[in-house]
Amino acid sequence: MKALRTGNILALCALLTACSQQLVGDKLVRGYAGDAPVNLSGSWERDYARGDIVSVEVNRVLRQIQRSAIDPRMSNDRIGVANTSDTRRKISRVLALAQLADMITQVDTLTITQSEHQISVERKGDYAISCEFYEGVAQGPETEYGNEICGWDGHQFVSRLVLPDGLRVSHRFTISTDGKSLHVSTTVSTSATTTPFTLDRYYNQFERPVSTFNCIETLSMKRVCSTGEIK
Amino acid sequence: MIAPTRARHRLFAALLTGACICLTGQTATAQSPSLNVSIIVFSPGIPADASTHRRLQVFPRIREFESRLLPFVLRETLVATHTWGAVRVVPEPDPAAELYLSGEILLSDGRTLALRFVAVDASGRVWLDKSYTQLATIDLESRRPASGIRAYQALFDEVAQDLHAARALLDDKALQDIVQISLLRYAATLAPTAFEGFLHRDPGGRFSINRLPARNDPMLERIQRIRHVEYLMTDAVDEKFQELYAEIASTYAVWRKYRQQYAQYQIEEAAWQENRKSTAPRGSYKAIESLYENYKWARLAAQEQEHWARAFDNEVGPTVTRIESRVAELDDWVDDRYAEWNRLLGEIFELETGLGE
Repeated sequence: MKALRTGNILALCALLTACSQQLVGDKLVRGYAGDAPVNLSGSWERDYARGDIVSVEVNRVLRQIQRSAIDPRMSNDRIGVANTSDTRRKISRVLALAQLADMITQVDTLTITQSEHQISVERKGDYAISCEFYEGVAQGPETEYGNEICGWDGHQFVSRLVLPDGLRVSHRFTISTDGKSLHVSTTVSTSATTTPFTLDRYYNQFERPVSTFNCIETLSMKRVCSTGEIK
Repeated sequence: MIAPTRARHRLFAALLTGACICLTGQTATAQSPSLNVSIIVFSPGIPADASTHRRLQVFPRIREFESRLLPFVLRETLVATHTWGAVRVVPEPDPAAELYLSGEILLSDGRTLALRFVAVDASGRVWLDKSYTQLATIDLESRRPASGIRAYQALFDEVAQDLHAARALLDDKALQDIVQISLLRYAATLAPTAFEGFLHRDPGGRFSINRLPARNDPMLERIQRIRHVEYLMTDAVDEKFQELYAEIASTYAVWRKYRQQYAQYQIEEAAWQENRKSTAPRGSYKAIESLYENYKWARLAAQEQEHWARAFDNEVGPTVTRIESRVAELDDWVDDRYAEWNRLLGEIFELETGLGE
């Protein structure tokens, strides 16, 4: 009986420890006080000359897994040596993460709007990454399927999507000192494997052509455009 | 609509000639007075913490608009019962009103409308303090929630029935007392020294009549004329709000339709997720892609709704601003006149009685 009770207590402690670690992990991104440290606003187009190539990154991560599977102390550049079921499972999960990261990072243009209370990263074909700031507290959107934790980490804007089954998608936005280039590092991880997968993408700022029309969206008339001021 | 200048001419004509300006409501009979009702523009119920708006799906500009529009639906409902005198929507609190009705929007998400109402008569008697919740009625043809504010008509009908039931509990004497107390409370705010002795206020805030002024009390006649003028201005403001309602109602109907579609989508999506059993192994691409896609589509739907809210604001914003500015002009004019009446009545009372206000 006593052993059972001790077992229960230990299980509870383990659960609490796991929860608190998870919480700490997801709360790493903080809000900020005062003005936003940098302004990311603008239109950004993908710089295909820079950034990770998915197949190269996949090979790199697979080599790491296999090296650790054979002997953590040994170095081995060959792929396909290790063949245990555990390693196969690890590889299949990392491939899944890589595939998801590749899908998420295929966006070729970003439109970022930033105000005192909000930053929004519009991505064609995907939802807009969004973060609101009130009284120094950063808050991301919540849905029944997951939520975003966001904020400034130094001069970087960070958004972490928290999904069921321990799936996490993190984006870290860093603007170059001249303000013309944006580095977006996207990391996908899951509790099913200890190996996350990261892809780096680069974007260059560009000016959208100025339209001769002023347009606004309306509910009953949809898009309304005029060459003059719209009243 | 009555322009301020036109109303101003009528005001001074009335004050000079002492003519009676008739109200728009039914004439009260000695046996069964029809109480005039003042409905204050509703409280929009916007949480003070702006960081909660997105989670609670509260769009502040639209809530503010709803707080002006919904009182008109209630007014039309009350007028249609032929039970009441003049039913007005007023921009400022009017505690001396014969029956004063205030409301707060608790929830308005396209599927459900929840409002809280408090109705208090001039004597301080609470007629109603109740929350009402109504799901949008289903359109029989499309089998989807009916669009527009009329989808919630049953809620306003219920409020009207409850008010009618509360009125039925009062006898004619009690109703007549309410009318008299209302006038005396109004008079006491304009000429306190002359009128505050006519009423007694108990510790609970209830008013009762101590004594009545003489039937031909000249000061009371002046007060009545001023009140009629104030009603006239209130009616002018009220007409401005009606103008706003008429101009924006069709756009608002489109907004509610979108909101209802979004609410319906959420219900269908939740049901679909409930019935769907993923067979993909945990950690597989299919499994994690599905988790990501669920979130993505939920966010895209929410963003679409935010887009509609902006489009609504783009469309109605200029009209709201224009009418708000006209209403503010009317309010300023009434405030200026009110201060002037207050001063003049004080001087007249002093001249007539030798007592200082």
